[in-house]
Amino acid sequence: MNIPCVHIIDDDEAIRDALQWLLKTRKIPCTTWASAEAFLDAIAPDWAGCVVLDIRMEGMSGLECFDVLRARGNTLPVIFITGHGDVPMAVSALKNGAHDFIEKPFNDGDLIAVIQHAMEIDAERRQAQSATQAVSERLTLLTAREREVMNLILEGKYNKVIADELNISMRTVEAHRSRIFEKMSVRSAVELAQLLKGVTF
Amino acid sequence: MDTSPQPTPLAPHWASRLPYAALALFVLLIGALLWLTRVHDEDSQRHSLISDVLWMEQSLQFQLDRNAAQLAQIGPELATGEISPQTDARLRQLLRAHNGLTRIVWLDAHGNILNMMPPLSEPSPDATSTIQAVIDPDLSRLAGTIGRPVYGPVYAAAGGGHQFEVHIPAFSDSGLLGVSIGVYSVEALLARELPWWFTEKYRVSVMDSEGNEITARSRVAPLSSTHTYTMPFDPPGHGLMLQITAYEGEIHWIPAILMTSILLLAAVLLWSFWQLRLQLKRRLAAESALRGEMAFRKAMEDSLLTGLRARDLTGRITYVNPAFCNMVGFTAQELIGLRPPMPYWHPDHIERLQEIHDLILAGQGPRTGVEVKLRRKNGEEMDALIFEAPLIDASGRHTGWMGSIMDITERKRARELARQQDERLQATARLITMGEMASTLAHELNQPLAAISTYNSGCLNRLAEGDADIEELRDIHEKIARQAYRAAAIIHRVHDFVRRSEPKRERVALNDIVREATELMAADARKRQMRIVLHLAPGLPTLAADPVMIEQLIVNLVRNGMDAVSSRPLGKRVITVTTSEKAGNLILRVADTGPGIDPERARRLFEPFFSTKEEGMGMGLNICRSIAELHRGRLSFEDGPDGGAVFILTLPVETEPATA
Repeated sequence: MNIPCVHIIDDDEAIRDALQWLLKTRKIPCTTWASAEAFLDAIAPDWAGCVVLDIRMEGMSGLECFDVLRARGNTLPVIFITGHGDVPMAVSALKNGAHDFIEKPFNDGDLIAVIQHAMEIDAERRQAQSATQAVSERLTLLTAREREVMNLILEGKYNKVIADELNISMRTVEAHRSRIFEKMSVRSAVELAQLLKGVTF
Repeated sequence: MDTSPQPTPLAPHWASRLPYAALALFVLLIGALLWLTRVHDEDSQRHSLISDVLWMEQSLQFQLDRNAAQLAQIGPELATGEISPQTDARLRQLLRAHNGLTRIVWLDAHGNILNMMPPLSEPSPDATSTIQAVIDPDLSRLAGTIGRPVYGPVYAAAGGGHQFEVHIPAFSDSGLLGVSIGVYSVEALLARELPWWFTEKYRVSVMDSEGNEITARSRVAPLSSTHTYTMPFDPPGHGLMLQITAYEGEIHWIPAILMTSILLLAAVLLWSFWQLRLQLKRRLAAESALRGEMAFRKAMEDSLLTGLRARDLTGRITYVNPAFCNMVGFTAQELIGLRPPMPYWHPDHIERLQEIHDLILAGQGPRTGVEVKLRRKNGEEMDALIFEAPLIDASGRHTGWMGSIMDITERKRARELARQQDERLQATARLITMGEMASTLAHELNQPLAAISTYNSGCLNRLAEGDADIEELRDIHEKIARQAYRAAAIIHRVHDFVRRSEPKRERVALNDIVREATELMAADARKRQMRIVLHLAPGLPTLAADPVMIEQLIVNLVRNGMDAVSSRPLGKRVITVTTSEKAGNLILRVADTGPGIDPERARRLFEPFFSTKEEGMGMGLNICRSIAELHRGRLSFEDGPDGGAVFILTLPVETEPATA
C-alpha cells in the first residue's frame, strides 16, 4: 500500500460515505475506517497520504488516536474534523503537531485544498526521507579510512594538510578523495557537503 | 458588678493577735488576784491568830495574877489557922470559880500543912503524905524568902492529869506567917480559862521543856501546818510552852463561790473565745470559697460570648454583661436603669421591638427565641437572636427576666451570601446544562448536514466535470434524502422532548394568579425597597390555563421589572400590574418605571440566549413567550407612556385544548 491515499476515520457512516464520494469525484484515492481502533490495528509504517480524523467518536477519540500515531513515530499528516464546539480541542491538537483541522459542515474547496496540501507535504517528506536513506546507504560503502579523510575534506582542509595530519602521502589522499567522490556519486567537495547536510553519520 | 470586692485582710496582723494577748493577761490577772486574795487571807488569819494568842496569854496571866492576889489577901488569915466564915466563903468562891484551881493548901511559917480546901475526902496519912510529898518545900521557902508568889514546875498528878502550884507567902508585921499554895490543874486551867470560841478556832497544847505535849485542848479537825504559834507559858514558866495551832481555816464560802464562778466564767470565756475563733475560721473559709465562686462566676459571665441582660418586672435593665456591652457598644453604666425604648433598638423597628418587649413582659415571649434588628452605638445594624426566660431568685420569687442575646449578624450575612451564591450556582448549572444540550443538538444536526453538503459538493464536482452518471447521481441523491430525513428525525425528537412540558389546564382566575405571584415577590420587593402596585379589574372571566405556568410567567415579568427599576432612586421603584378584558381576551400589563429598552435591544428581546443582564441566560422572556403561545396567547412589548417598559400578555378567554 505505497500509493498515497486519504485515510478517513469517522464513526458516522454517512460522513464517511459522503467524504469518500467527494474525494472520488476529485480522483483522490481514499480508504475509510469506522473507528480509530480499526485504523490503528491495520496501519503500517510505509503508508503514505494523510489521515482525516473525526475528533468526537465512540470508543477511542480522534485526539487519542492522534497521540497513539505520534507515539509510534508515524509522521502521516493528520487533519481533524471538528464540530462547532470542538475548536479549542482542535487548536490544542494543532499545537501538538496536527496538520490542520476542518469544521463541519465542510466547505468543499477548503477540504480538498487542505487534503491536497497534506498529501504534498507527506510526499515531500517521504522523498526527503528516501534521499537521506540513499545517502546513508552510500555512506556505508566507505571504509573507515575514507570516512576519516571525508571528515577532514568536509572541514574544508586541503589535501596537503590532510596528508600531514594523517601522516600519509599526498598521493594517497588524492586516491582516497577520488574514491569517496565516486562512492558518494558527487563531483566536488561542495556537492558532498550539500548531500551530507542534515544527515547524521 | 464592675467593682468586685477585693479580699482585704479584716485587721492588721498585730490586731488579730490582740485578743489572745488580752486573754492571756486576763487569765494572769485572775491568777494574781486569786493569789493575792489567798495571801491576804493567810495574812489576816495569821494576824488574828497572833492577836488571839496574845489576848489568851494576857487573859491567862490575868487570871493567875488575880488568883494569886486573892490568895495573898486571904493568906495571913489562913496562916493563923482560924478561918472565918467569910474567908471560907471566899475560899470556896475561889475554888468554885473554876479558874483552874483545884485545891488550896496553906502552910504555917515552918512549912507544915495547916489545912487544905477542899479537904482530902478520906484524910489518911497516905493522902497527907502524898500532898506533903508533892508540895515542894523549897518553893515555899523561896516564896517566903523573896516575899512574892512563886510558881512551881508541872508534875503529873496522882489521879491523872498535870498540875502545878503557886506558893504565895503571907506576912504579918512580925514576919512570915505562912504560905498559901494554889494547886492548878493544867487541864482544868485550859478548860476553864479558854473561851469556847477560842477552842473552836485553835488547838491549844501545853508542852514541857523537852517539847513533850502535856495536854491539849483539841477538837477532831485537821490542823493547819502553817498557822502555829508557840510562846512561853509564864507563869508558871519552867520551860512550859503554849502551842496554838489554827485549825484548817474553814472554807470561806462566798469568796470561794466568787472565785469558782470567776474561774468558771473565765473557762466559759475561753471556750467561747475558742468557739468564736473556730467559727471565724469557718466563716473565713466559707467567705473565701464564696469569693472564689463569685470570681469564677464573674469570669464566666465576662468571658461568655453570649450577651446577658437582666430586667426587672417593669422592664428596667438591672444587669448587662460585658459581651452584651460589646455587642451594642454602650457601657454598662449607660444601660443599667434604662427603660424601653432602649437606645440600641433599631429606629426602623421600634414598634416591633416594643411589641416583643411587651409580649415578653406578659410572659408570652417566644420560647424558641426571637430574631430582632438592633443598632449599635456607632450606628451599625445588627441582627440578634434573643432568648428570654423568667428570672427566679433564691426564694423562688419571679423578679424579672433574663435575656441571652446572640449576635447573628455575621451568620445572617453569611447565610444570605450563601443563598445568593447558591442561586448563582444554580443559574450557572442551568446554563451549563443548556449549553450541554445545545452542544449535543448542534453536533447531532451537524452530522447529517455535513454529510448532505459533502454529497452535494461531490455532485457539483461531477456536474462540473460533465461526466455525470445518472445512476450514480440518483444513488447519491437518495443518500442525501436519507440524511435530510435523519436531520428531521432529530428535530422531531427535540420537539417531542419539549412537548413533555405541555400545560395542565384548569379553570383559573387570572387575578388570583397575579395576587399569588406578587405575594411571592413581596418580600424581595420590600427588601429592595420597591413597590408592586396592582390594578386588578373585577369580575374577569376565568381562564383554562396552567396556573403554575402563568404564575411563572408573571413572576418572570415582575422580576424583570424589578431588575429594571433597581437603578432608580428610592420611591421611583414601582412595578404596576394591571389586568383587564378586551374583545374576548384577558390583558395583563406589567409596567415598570425603569430606564426603558432601546429599540435595538427591543428587537432582540425575545431571541433565545439574548440577555441584557450580566447573569441572565437569555431564556426568561423566551420561556414567557413560549408559555403565552402554549396558551394561544401573545406576549408583546411596548414603551411605557412615562418611560420604562411595558410587557403585555394577551390570553384568549376561550382557549381550545392544545392539539399536538
